[in-house]
Order: sequence, then structure tokens, then C-alpha cells
Amino acid sequence: MAVIVSQEGVEAPAPRPLAVLAAFSAMLLALTLAWAAFDNRLLSGSPVWAKPMKFALSFTVLFATLAWFERRLSPGWRDGLILRGTVVVMAMAMLVEMGYMIVMAAQQQGSHFNLSTPFTTIMYRIMGAGAVLLTAGVAIFGIAVLRDGEADVTPTLRLGIGWGCLLTFVLTLATAGYMSSQGTHVGVAAAGSAVLPLTGWSATVGDIRPAHFLALHAMQALPLAGLWFDRVGVAKSRMAWVAMLYAVLTMAVFAQALAGLPLLPL
Amino acid sequence: MSPQELFDLTGAPVLLGWIILIAGPRRFAVLNAIPQFIIPFALSLLYAALVLSHFSQTGGGYGSLAAVRQLFTSEWVLLAGWVHYLAFDLFVGSVLAARMDRAGIGRLVQAPVLASTFLFGPVGLVLALGTETLLSGRSAMATLKLHPRR
Repeated sequence: MAVIVSQEGVEAPAPRPLAVLAAFSAMLLALTLAWAAFDNRLLSGSPVWAKPMKFALSFTVLFATLAWFERRLSPGWRDGLILRGTVVVMAMAMLVEMGYMIVMAAQQQGSHFNLSTPFTTIMYRIMGAGAVLLTAGVAIFGIAVLRDGEADVTPTLRLGIGWGCLLTFVLTLATAGYMSSQGTHVGVAAAGSAVLPLTGWSATVGDIRPAHFLALHAMQALPLAGLWFDRVGVAKSRMAWVAMLYAVLTMAVFAQALAGLPLLPL
Repeated sequence: MSPQELFDLTGAPVLLGWIILIAGPRRFAVLNAIPQFIIPFALSLLYAALVLSHFSQTGGGYGSLAAVRQLFTSEWVLLAGWVHYLAFDLFVGSVLAARMDRAGIGRLVQAPVLASTFLFGPVGLVLALGTETLLSGRSAMATLKLHPRR
């Protein structure tokens, strides 16, 4: 195992790359929080820093969650080529995505859905490819947990992590893919119309982002359900219900947006 | 030589230093010395010469924003200020790179942190020190102790 040596000559194991990525994403979040104190420019009705802030928070949660999964894997899987390569690809996708998003937001310009010049069009495509790679990476971690017979997980938690990751992959491709094909995340909302606090989701028209949010977080929701089932002694077979209910809930919120209705009207 | 000509001369070596720091190997002491020592040292010497020769003629100072603006009305002091950025950003970048190596932060994550230091100095500093501290709060704090306890 790689080690690092402090100035006093104390040896410690080198941090896992996923821990580095989580810490780095958290610092991007800190950067956007400082930015928020000084910038009141708007971009399609939201503060310019809101989107980089939400993505930095999301990446922090994503990499911390994957680090938690990884710790439970056996050394053979954890240090194997497949997962190491997956983490490198996910890191590159995150760095490109965050870098471009911050640079564009600082110029009060859109990053996603921005087809105004050939350059922004290509960058939007690259971000789309990066997002697919990121969710595919999550799926690979899910498969690793399902396949690793020596992973430090109960049968219920194994299903929670594995199915959660696979649901995140499938549901995110569906919701985000549709969003991308529409060229926007929201229906026709009047400028300055009401939005939900913190999230910025529309409170007046259909907005696909709530469904996208649920899709992304199956990888946290199902493992948490697994942990809770273990604690209260619910049978492992019930995880199938949880997975199905979660998928139905996500699709229902998705359908609500397609029907032109906000998640919560204000 | 005009301020603009000197400005043009500083670009290439600084860029070389950053390329070595961001993309080069870290195994060779001679190569490390270019961004860590040689280029920042040469630029700092240039800065010292510029400031000693031109600072007092501007009538500016450090006491207020207006005094600082007065300083930079001189093209020579403006150039000195730019050289100060170049020298310190590269030196800080090489210190951050060494610290990130020691903290076990991979080169893939180091690259955008160092690029941020190159273009917007303190942004990279925040990212590097913050990431390092989050990974291991204790070891980052330990470097602050100038006289380690025996």
C-alpha cells in the first residue's frame, strides 16, 4: 500500500483517491460559498454561483458515498484495475465538468443547454459524455459490491448498495437523458416566477430536476434502507420492494413534471 | 529596454516553469529546481531592481487604495507588480505541489489546482490547503509548528 511521510517522518497510509476527490469537491463547495457573498448577478433567474455550488455539493456526497462503499470491498476488488480505472475516469469527468461550469458561471453564461456558439455546443456534449461516464462509474461500483463475495456487507446491505447504484444509473440516464433531449430542465415559466427554496426548482411549471435528484440519490437511499432493515430485522427479500417503490416514486415525479405540474406549487 | 519589452521577456520562462510543475516528472532534483528556485529567484531579483529604481518616483504608497493606484500609474511599477505575481505564484505553486505530493494527492487533481494557482493564485491556494487539511487535519496543522516538540 502506498504510504505518505509527514514532515516529522511519520508514515501513514496514502489517502484513497476517492477521499481526495471528496475533499477536493468539498473545497470547491467552500469556494462557491465565498463567491456567493459577493456576486448578485443572475443567470436564468438564479444566482450565477448556485449551479456550481449545487454540483460541488453533489460531487462531495457522490465521492464520499463511493469511498464508503469502497471501504467495504475486499482488497482484490478495491485495488483492482477495474475500480482504479473507474475512479480515474470519474475524476477526469468531474474536473472537466466543474472547471467548465465555474468558468462559464463567472462570465454569467450557461454551461448545460448552452448552444450559442460551436464551442459551447461541443462543451455541452463533452459534459453530457462526462455525466454518462460518472453514472456508469456508479453502476460499476454497484456491480463490484454485488459480485465481491468477500465484501464486508450483510446480504441486505449488499442488495441496497448494488441495486441503489444500478437504479441511479438507469433512472439518471432516463431523466437526465430526456432533459438533455428537450434542451431544458423546465417548462415555460414566466421570468421571475416562484421557485422552491434552496433547490431553485420551479414552483409554477413542470421541472424535471426533482426526478433527476431522486434518480441520482437512489445510491444513498437504498443502502440506508438496507442499514435500517438490518437494524430492525426486516427480511432481505423486502429490498426488492424498496427498489421498486423508489423507481416508481421517481417515475411518478418525472411524470408529474412532464404533465407540466411543479413538485410543490407555491 | 521598455516595460513592454521586459514584460514580453518574462512570459516564456514563467510558462516553462508552470508546464514543468503541472505536467513534468517530480523525480529529478534539477528539473524541480526550475520552478521551485531558479525562475522565482530570477524574477524576484528583477522585481527588487524595478522597485528600488522606480517606487519612490510615483508618490504612491501602501496606506490607501488611492495611494496604491498612484503607485501603479507608473508603467515600471505596474510591471514590477506583475513580476511580483509571476514570481510568488510560481513559488507558491511549487510549495503547494510539494505539500500535495506529501499529502498523497494525485497528479490528476493537482493539475487543476496548480492551473488555478497559475491563473488566479489564491484560488489554487484555497483548493490545495483546504483539500490537504480535509484529508488529514493533523498533518496539515503540524507543518505550522515551527519548533517541533522533542
